[in-house]
Amino acid sequence: MLFATLEHILTHISFSTISIVITIHLITLLVRELGGLRDSSEKGMIATFFSITGFLVSRWASSGHFPLSNLYESLIFLSWALYILHMIPTIQNSKNDLSTITTPSTILTQGFATSGLLTEMHQSTILVPALQSQWLMMHVSMMLLSYATLLCGSLLSAALLIIRFRKNLDFFSKKKKNVLSKTFFFNEIEYFYAKRSALKSTLFPSFPNYYKYQLIERLDSWSYRVISLGFTLLTIGILCGAVWANEAWGSYWNWDPKETWAFITWTIFAIYLHSRTNPNWKGTKSAFVASIGFLIIWICYFGINLLGIGLHSYGSFTLPI
Amino acid sequence: MPSPTCYLLLNPACSCRSYQRPGLLLPAAPTPRRRVHVYCDAQRRGSSGGGGGGVKREAIPAGAGKAKKQVVFFDAAPPLSQRSGGGGEDGEVAGKKENAALGLVRRVTKRTLSLLSNLPLAISEMFAIAALMALGTVIDQGEAPSYYFEKFPEDNPVFGFITWRWILTPGFDHMFSSPVFLGLLALLATSLMACTYTTQIPIVKVARRWSFMHSAGSIRKQEFADSLPRASIQDLGVILMGYGYEVFTKGPSLYAFKGLAGRFAPIGVHIAMLFIMAGATLSATGSFKGSVDVPQGLNFVIGDVMKPKGFLSFAPDVFNTEVHVNRFFMEYYDSGEVSQFYSDLSLFDLDGKEVMRKTIKVNDPLRYGGFTIYQTDWGFSALQVKKNGEGPFNLAMAPLKLNGDKKLFGTLLPLENSGSSNVKGISMLARDLQSIVLYDQEGKFVGVRRPSSKLPIEIDGNEIVIEDAIGSTGLDLKTDPGVPIVYAGFGALMLTTCISYLSHSQIWALQDGSTVVVGGKTNRAKLEFSEEMNRLLDKVPELISVNENTIDSKQSAA
Repeated sequence: MLFATLEHILTHISFSTISIVITIHLITLLVRELGGLRDSSEKGMIATFFSITGFLVSRWASSGHFPLSNLYESLIFLSWALYILHMIPTIQNSKNDLSTITTPSTILTQGFATSGLLTEMHQSTILVPALQSQWLMMHVSMMLLSYATLLCGSLLSAALLIIRFRKNLDFFSKKKKNVLSKTFFFNEIEYFYAKRSALKSTLFPSFPNYYKYQLIERLDSWSYRVISLGFTLLTIGILCGAVWANEAWGSYWNWDPKETWAFITWTIFAIYLHSRTNPNWKGTKSAFVASIGFLIIWICYFGINLLGIGLHSYGSFTLPI
Repeated sequence: MPSPTCYLLLNPACSCRSYQRPGLLLPAAPTPRRRVHVYCDAQRRGSSGGGGGGVKREAIPAGAGKAKKQVVFFDAAPPLSQRSGGGGEDGEVAGKKENAALGLVRRVTKRTLSLLSNLPLAISEMFAIAALMALGTVIDQGEAPSYYFEKFPEDNPVFGFITWRWILTPGFDHMFSSPVFLGLLALLATSLMACTYTTQIPIVKVARRWSFMHSAGSIRKQEFADSLPRASIQDLGVILMGYGYEVFTKGPSLYAFKGLAGRFAPIGVHIAMLFIMAGATLSATGSFKGSVDVPQGLNFVIGDVMKPKGFLSFAPDVFNTEVHVNRFFMEYYDSGEVSQFYSDLSLFDLDGKEVMRKTIKVNDPLRYGGFTIYQTDWGFSALQVKKNGEGPFNLAMAPLKLNGDKKLFGTLLPLENSGSSNVKGISMLARDLQSIVLYDQEGKFVGVRRPSSKLPIEIDGNEIVIEDAIGSTGLDLKTDPGVPIVYAGFGALMLTTCISYLSHSQIWALQDGSTVVVGGKTNRAKLEFSEEMNRLLDKVPELISVNENTIDSKQSAA
């Protein structure tokens, strides 16, 4: 009971903090002058991080196993992973566009996890025999870390596409904007600001395209690095899963739907990485592939669970309709 | 070794593709690229000692430029085709039919290689495989043909055109073993090999050579370029070393690199993939599988259970081993759900000697002499019951419900006239080995008993004692000769993908008077590289009062 209350409090703290952080982000984007608020948004992220970590630790302590046995826990872990991703460039002290992706993503995953949609899954469940292995920690955490990383990378690519084709945005807005509107919105504003401040400072207003170009290059480079990292993690995650399957199910590969979709995800991002070796495809075309990857990850992570088929049925859930 | 050429060799954009697009390469930057050809040839001839009879290789640019000349940078296919084409007419190799045939074979090989290592082809193969896999999860796999007749009827096709013919003819009802899918995988494997051979290895060969640049102009053309006034190249070298670079200096020029492993790793990735594919093929053709349901206390012989999966499956001697199930038991959570299954197994060889004993559970299989025994399932074999002090009788339990997480087993203890047509008796149902639910002749609930309690229960005037519940263990057995190869591939793949994250960075610098011209490039982390370079160049000390002499003396000292 104590743990349940603690978890309840912690989720609420983290969710409200991150809402505040989002608001601060919006304000600082619209009103540039309030520089002090930016620091406080960073502090807010740290507070969120500690409360999510606290939540996971208390789950671990109360259930006695690694807190990754159902979808709810995995979603919380996903937002934790997104936060970790948010922190890496901050530690390296380099300016980046990642926070515009990670912050809203964290709030969206957390919002979804804590929303009423999955209430019956909030309870910590017991571990079925097949999950009782040290590999659980390795395989599932690697998979979720890679999902978080790849989601960020593919969102960066999608943002690149939006900025690249801003003129014919109508075409895209119908298709994708409803899903990704939030992040794009941020990037759009970032872009406008970069452009406006650049125009103010330079004497050559005839170069607006240069800044657009620079932003696209930056997004491209970042999404490449982030996706490479995510691809590495995905490879490790899948292979750990295969080794585990050979211990538990008697075969390292079963063509189970979840496995198959993880492999499809892997293939799509392998295509992305290969397409980048062609200078002509770098940028727009590879960004298209990465954006497809975004959808594939969600099918792999969610779609299969929704259907509840195959051997990976632990995380399955039914929509309460 | 002419350095500018070396630099150009260091430039190839990266894997598979720069070789398929000579159309872009040749007209755009004719002179430097041609030098690449020549250089490579020279190098090749030098290293292979003229093996393969590479005559007149210098003719590439002209001849190759006109012909198709795809691919072939470093493997010099055009000269070969030239030779064999022109050779017959010139009479140079006339009469040597073998040679011509050999040339033809080599030409065909080169063509095939170039076709296979084509990047768009490889990418479309991967797309096709991904699409087929997705299709394989959408279509229900492994059902009987009648299922597909019903689900994809001819008179009412899905989406207006998909009938069962679309599914069954290409074998999409068993997608992951269908010839289309396996053929695509095989094609991808050959593409991997071709790409490694024609593209990746040459790139690495080139990247390994380190070279200096002697002109400030070519250094300034790098992706990152800067010039430091009043600086010394030696200071730069020391700082670069501090940042983990390998630094080489010669006279006024400097060359530094780091992360060369990042260039090698993609080859490792491809080789690891090939290992996994080879291992998986061996698994599919050379393994045995079997599953068996053994009641506690009984034995079976491995060879009786195992069924070969492919034409390479040869039964080893250990198949004579006999397995005895000493005990099967389950552990439960407080809530009553099963937490773990255990089977205590003993292995006996032909002489009846116990060679191994182990209690296996899910996630902890038994391995002996090449085969593995997994705990996968369980069942309720029999119930030992005493009726009015007689017995005990063994009542076989029948599975009433098999699907789903919850199992249900049941049995009937007949009371009197067992010969008559409508036998009535006591029904006993069990979800697990822990508790048995008893019903009387009318089907009314009487009570629940635990086998361990030995507590008698009175039903229709009979005193029933449940003595014991005998479970049966569901075991999966297999031998898989492919596993070591696949695991080697897994290990290599994890390692090499991690290393692939490294970025191969190269820096050139030239002391131009009192100014140091610095240029550099990297293949992956471009933003981080320029940031690192800026940080690094900020650290280079500015020499306040330098004259040419001091620099000269420093250089001669170096």
